[in-house]
Amino acid sequence: MSKPTDLVQGTLDLLILKTVALEPAHGWAIAQRIRQVSKDVLQVNQGSLYPALHRLEQSGWIKAKWGESDNNRRAKYYALTPAGRRYLDQEQANWQRLSAAIGLVLEIAD
Amino acid sequence: MRIFKKIPLRIQSIFRKDRVEQDLTDEIRFHVDKLIEQNVARGMPPAQARYAALQELGGLEQLKEECRDMRRVKVIENLVQDVRYGLRVFRKNPGFAAVAILTLALGIGATTAIFSVVDAVVLKPLPFPTADRLVRVRSLILKTGTGGIASYPDFLDWRAQNHVFDGIAAFRTGDFTLVGASDAVHLQGAVVSAQLLSLLDVKPVLGRSFAPEEDSPAAAGGTDPVILSQELWQREFSSDPSVIGRKIELNGLPFTVVGVMPGGFQYPIQAEPIELWTTIAVDARGADSMTTQRGAHYLDVLGLLKPGVAIPRAQAEMVGIASALNKAHPENRPRTVRIVPELESLSGPLRAPLFVLLGAVGCVLLIVCANVANLLLARASSRQKEMAVRAALGSSRLRTVCQLLTESLTLGLLGGAVGLALALALLQLLVRIIPAEVPRLNLIGLDVRLLGFAFLISLVAGILFGLVPAFQLSKVSLTGALSEGCRGGVSSGRGHNRVRSALVVSEVALAVVLLVGAGLLVKSFLRLTRVDPGFDPHNVLTFQLDSPAGQPDTQLPAFYHQVVARMAALPGAISASAVASLPLTGNNIQSSIEIEGQPTPIGSRPIADFNAVELNYFHTIGIPLAAGRDFTEQDDAKSPPVVIVNQALARRFFPNENPIGKHVRPGIGNGYGPGESPMREIVGVVGDVKQGDLGGESSPEVYAPLAQSPFSPMIILVRTRIDPRGIVEPARGAVASLDRHQPLYHVLTLDQYFAESVSEPRLSTLLLSGFAGLAVLLACLGVYGVISYIVIQRRHEIGVRMALGAEASEVLRWMLVRGLALASVGIAIGLAFALGLAHLLSSALYGVRPTDPVIFVTAPMALLSVALLASYIPARRAARVDPMVALRYE
Repeated sequence: MSKPTDLVQGTLDLLILKTVALEPAHGWAIAQRIRQVSKDVLQVNQGSLYPALHRLEQSGWIKAKWGESDNNRRAKYYALTPAGRRYLDQEQANWQRLSAAIGLVLEIAD
Repeated sequence: MRIFKKIPLRIQSIFRKDRVEQDLTDEIRFHVDKLIEQNVARGMPPAQARYAALQELGGLEQLKEECRDMRRVKVIENLVQDVRYGLRVFRKNPGFAAVAILTLALGIGATTAIFSVVDAVVLKPLPFPTADRLVRVRSLILKTGTGGIASYPDFLDWRAQNHVFDGIAAFRTGDFTLVGASDAVHLQGAVVSAQLLSLLDVKPVLGRSFAPEEDSPAAAGGTDPVILSQELWQREFSSDPSVIGRKIELNGLPFTVVGVMPGGFQYPIQAEPIELWTTIAVDARGADSMTTQRGAHYLDVLGLLKPGVAIPRAQAEMVGIASALNKAHPENRPRTVRIVPELESLSGPLRAPLFVLLGAVGCVLLIVCANVANLLLARASSRQKEMAVRAALGSSRLRTVCQLLTESLTLGLLGGAVGLALALALLQLLVRIIPAEVPRLNLIGLDVRLLGFAFLISLVAGILFGLVPAFQLSKVSLTGALSEGCRGGVSSGRGHNRVRSALVVSEVALAVVLLVGAGLLVKSFLRLTRVDPGFDPHNVLTFQLDSPAGQPDTQLPAFYHQVVARMAALPGAISASAVASLPLTGNNIQSSIEIEGQPTPIGSRPIADFNAVELNYFHTIGIPLAAGRDFTEQDDAKSPPVVIVNQALARRFFPNENPIGKHVRPGIGNGYGPGESPMREIVGVVGDVKQGDLGGESSPEVYAPLAQSPFSPMIILVRTRIDPRGIVEPARGAVASLDRHQPLYHVLTLDQYFAESVSEPRLSTLLLSGFAGLAVLLACLGVYGVISYIVIQRRHEIGVRMALGAEASEVLRWMLVRGLALASVGIAIGLAFALGLAHLLSSALYGVRPTDPVIFVTAPMALLSVALLASYIPARRAARVDPMVALRYE
């Protein structure tokens, strides 16, 4: 197995938004889910996860609520806001356009 | 809008720091625990699992700090950024910034200075714990609504019968001579009810307050109490605490010092500081004392309303008590009561003119704002490209408006800072021309209220002049502005011009209002200063002088006669005399008067001024003798009582007869003991003088010879052939040689009294004229700006016209008409407002109606011609446009 890839600058926001779009989750769960879904390719840097969450909350894309975790501990759950949903759609489209474009360029180079 | 959703979060992060901190710690701790759990599940020993978890996170504190960073409030950052950007813009356009800041500084400075005066004189609360419940209870003559002061018997009845006051206290000011360690000093003091200090809720810092029984004179052998001001205690008694209980001599009578008031304590509040307080007992001595006469109205009355009692209720009850007293004492003139808040009674007649001035200076500030707004608009056109670029790069309209507003607020605050300095300089000047008798002028100065006001109006001004340009600018259409940019940016449409024209029209309108107001005041002031006061005020020295302590009344005339004789003998003196009350001071002594052959009960007798004069008075002050004779040495206590009357009295009471030889009975009978005063024969008629205001009417007046009507203190007059101030010291020496315990006080020339009597109208006139001048200047700058702008904007069009054969004179006329149109619309609107507002000045006007046609024609004409001049300069530039250059300009 290759070393987990570092995230491309700016994509962490997108991944977090996508993850909490499915259901509200706390920071730990978000990190776990990203790793699982990407089949261990994407490893979220634990040190940058929380600042990112706070930044997104501050921007109004996600909102936080205290809830109970699976083993009855208090945990902070993040959920997507309507504004966050719009932002996610927009960014997702951007990303797809970008990756498609990069794909095209790389094909030519072959 | 997203911004509103963010607000709670931001507020949370600003105000609920602890809570937010705790949440952050909990959140990170939860993550660490999960990591440890995972590591343990992988088989690590607990200690190592924990260590590995912390290592993976890379430092808990750094992580938290990064999270906090994300929450920091962005508003402040934006603001700082905008302010710095604004300052950079100003630095790049120093000319624009300087003009804007200076204009603003003028407006804000003038407004702040006037506010400072209004605040000190009218608005600042009284320095007493009970201030908001303090009222003046004024006793007015029912028929005329004049008067204001009460008699002691009336006061006692009010006190006994009312249910609306926690207490009422009577007081008057008085002159005292203290014979201390050094020379005798004259002190201004107050004679008060014992209860006064407790109504104000102020206690002496040393000793005690007055006891209620001290309103009555002390028993034989005892002395009346006196309380000193801290300043007097320090100055004359070297702050000696053992002064309490010490006997001192005031006006030759013994008093006992019982207390010292806190420093700065003043009541009644007036320009000349009160330095000691004694009780009403001093007026209660003797059989026929002032306190026993219901007709002797000489006391002010202060009341402390019960909590929850409003003035109308108190007023209703007191009017009831007054009318019951009228019925019970039909021999007295019927009176009524009016209750006025103490603060209002203090600022009294100055309130109205001060608020008019504040309004006027507010207009100047508005004009300033309109002018700066126009400056910003003019600059706006060259900034359209910048705005378009901003918009293209994703700046929202709100963000752009915020940035532009921040710029204008920065401008406003800079202007405010310079304005504050200007205000302080202006105040130095103002304090010198404000009438000296205005109370609380010492409160004028730099304080928190002044700073707050300057700051506030700077902000308001910033928003006022910034709002219109900000919205105009942010409305920029992207493609238009970016592509038109090459035309040098002067491209805005007609809407833009309409706003600018509207601003100039309102400037002109405001300027007309001020100009008309100033015109009315100037005309009235000129009339006023040309009024003949009835005497010759030049080269006359006056001073007040008490009679020697303990001298019986019968000795008074002799003493003053001696003083006057010494004054007349001074080198440089022409003649000298003495009088009980000087003209123009409003200190006239009113008395009832009975006319021979018209017996009337005292209560319904007419009122005349009563004055006692030493020989030679009319000659010394310059009042002409119209008929009969002057008093002579023969008119003494032993000869038949005589009077001289003024022409107003002769006209009113002896309309078609010769008053000489007729008799009148003034109610004041000094020198003739208690009971009805004697009938006195009229031996002469003299010219009228203005007893009060120069603009007022001369009231009927009776002069009695001092020898037949002893009076103290008297005012000594010396007419000189040199500068009267040059004989002050010789006069002091001459008085001291007669009695070294009698200090001269209120030493003033008659010219000074004359100047003082017109100082209030002079102040209003000076300031309003200044403001009007400023307003006209600013409005013309506005007209000039708009016309120059149009000229630049239409340069191409002008070029085409001239190329097609238009004459230069036509172009000139075309531009002048624009300017005239702007000015005329403004003047029309302004005149309408001026007509509506002029009546506010009516009480300040003398001999001029508020709708004076001359002023209402000349003021607009003057403004119109200056506006024409202001548009002529840019118009001439338009006429000189070289068609080729203008066409090539494209």
